[in-house]
Amino acid sequence: MTFIIMHRRTSHTLAGLAICLTALTGCGKTPPAYFRPNMVEATKQRLTPDQEQQVSTILLAMFGTPDEPVCLPETGLDEAKLRLAAGPVRSDIVGRKNGLYREHCAHCHGVTGDALGPTAAFLNPYPRDYRPGVFKFKSTERADKPTHADLVRVLHKGIPGTSMPSFALLPAAQVEALAEYVKYLSIRGETELALMRAYFELDDDAQGKLPETREFLIDETLAVVADKWKAAADAEIQVPPMPADIDLVASIAKGKELFYGGKANCVKCHGVTGLGDGQANDYDDWNKAIVEIGKELSSGATAAREASTSGMSPEELAEHRGQLAWLEKFGKVLDGDALEPRTIPPRNLRHGIYRGGRRPIDLYYRIHAGINGAPMPAAKGTVPPEDIWHIVNYVRSLPYELDGELGADKPMLAKDRF
Amino acid sequence: MTPAALRARVAITALLVVSAGCRPERVTTPGADMAAASTLRATLVSAASAAAPAEAAAATGTGWGSLKGRFVFAGTPGTARPLVADKDTEVCSKAGMKLLDRSLLVDASSKGLANVVVFARKTARVKEAQPSTTPVVFDQKQCEFLAPVFAARVGQPIDVKNSDPIGHNTNIAGSDFNQLIPAGGSTIYVPKAETGMPTMVTCNVHPWMKAYMVFRKDGYVAVSAADGSFTIADLPAGEPLEFQVWHERSTGPSGAIGLDKPDLRWTPKGRFQLTLQPDEIKDLGTLEVPASAIGT
Repeated sequence: MTFIIMHRRTSHTLAGLAICLTALTGCGKTPPAYFRPNMVEATKQRLTPDQEQQVSTILLAMFGTPDEPVCLPETGLDEAKLRLAAGPVRSDIVGRKNGLYREHCAHCHGVTGDALGPTAAFLNPYPRDYRPGVFKFKSTERADKPTHADLVRVLHKGIPGTSMPSFALLPAAQVEALAEYVKYLSIRGETELALMRAYFELDDDAQGKLPETREFLIDETLAVVADKWKAAADAEIQVPPMPADIDLVASIAKGKELFYGGKANCVKCHGVTGLGDGQANDYDDWNKAIVEIGKELSSGATAAREASTSGMSPEELAEHRGQLAWLEKFGKVLDGDALEPRTIPPRNLRHGIYRGGRRPIDLYYRIHAGINGAPMPAAKGTVPPEDIWHIVNYVRSLPYELDGELGADKPMLAKDRF
Repeated sequence: MTPAALRARVAITALLVVSAGCRPERVTTPGADMAAASTLRATLVSAASAAAPAEAAAATGTGWGSLKGRFVFAGTPGTARPLVADKDTEVCSKAGMKLLDRSLLVDASSKGLANVVVFARKTARVKEAQPSTTPVVFDQKQCEFLAPVFAARVGQPIDVKNSDPIGHNTNIAGSDFNQLIPAGGSTIYVPKAETGMPTMVTCNVHPWMKAYMVFRKDGYVAVSAADGSFTIADLPAGEPLEFQVWHERSTGPSGAIGLDKPDLRWTPKGRFQLTLQPDEIKDLGTLEVPASAIGT
């Protein structure tokens, strides 16, 4: 802090100058809302400016703008609902409101749904980035999309233990519109990712340009994404009823055995205490993507720095310079378009706070299918349904165990439990 | 606080406000082309423009041929880094055994580069029409996936095994598979889609565990052995083929290995082209991967 030792007059002048500058430059006029391209993916795929522009143009044709969204019939989306949610916050008829997404969601999830809204960096956990099309709390199998009802439930209940509030006070039509708009942003984002990745798969005779045909853009790209959303409606996990022939205390005891045993292995991450203090230095998929890019960059940067340019042919030299420029650009893109990666702690099961909902069936879904995007694996296939129910019962009992009774080696007596 | 200190503090705050600006400077990008977008939109909404579906690449040749070659590394690989294996040490670092980073395996005597993936990009004909129904085993032992790079055909069952006395989970990125594999247990996974470039496989309980998997519809894929050699048999002959080459540590785009081989039209995207004659066993000989193609 060199300022501290500055002469009094200097500091005085500097302060004045700084205030003048702030006043002069200001923050500028509010620019019109626009969808920010996925710069991390564009740079990762080494797209040229022409290619970046082609993606933006295709997306504009397919999805419109944040103020005027449009959707092709193949998306299965309801444009009227999107119009209620999109655009600036405004009301032209008493009691009817538009611009719901920007009123309620955009400050965290971003206008683009990229989780880069102005408040995002200050939240822990970070808000969800819709663009990869991955959602955690749902009633479908791991890789399936959530059902419409799943999204509505998250909006209604919020996500306990995070910054996501409940929107239960909004009229049902508004919640519907917001759920539809989340799907719209997600389909748009996933289509963008598919387009950006498609450049690498192009044959050389395509000359780095995606074919602008219905067949490629709709049948092979947009419909592939949209059909997964349509399929979700019929993809709910079939949950057998909780075993009725066993009493709760016995079920909890069985669940405890499974929790600590080598089959379900919950203990490895959620810890012997259940406090979520087991394996805790892993990342979720969104953060891991940034971590992996960071590793690739530092590995590439070291290789590029160590490369000797003396023996290079002109072509090799041009390639080397291209690599250095790409590394530099990627560093800047990460600064502006990605948040500092954070590890994902396994859930502390003694709080009784369940992000995906506290109903027994919610816990069943989490254990059966795992949590998409998070390290939590699926138990289906290796753990039978009745055992999953026993684990559910044990997990639900954990917040009520007495403090002195933590740990695998201290069996709990039923009479001490409540 | 003295007046001087107070002023200094004001100056610092003001400077911070100025330097921070309204938001961090972001890399700019050209905006969409409005006119082109509205033309394109007209194309996308009009059903009339729906062209007849493109025919599958016409099968022109007959017979089958094989491709082989051997990758060698032209640099010095350095010593493998030890992995931080700090969980379940009674199994994962049995008898003081250290797990080592396997991302660059170079054979000391032959300089052979292991775990390079070579696959055909598009093929018009496939000799074995259906994938085998016999499961291929993907095993893990002492907290390590036995195969650092694993190739399989789409539709072929994979027996994901755990030969450890502790539980693992196997998480295949970009797939629908992330499942618990109990101690001594196994489960079957049938890949449903191609991976494009190989995808990462991890165990979230033991984060140092890492492998790659590649799935191809036609099964024309090979992983180079410890001496760097690879063979892809029964490729369709008499028609142009394009191959993709990948290595985990490549500095090329998406892990592509670009070589200076004009005779094979080898591109920086790690692709080369050739046409096989029936019953030919085409040997590419020694393919030298320069040190600069591999990241640190």
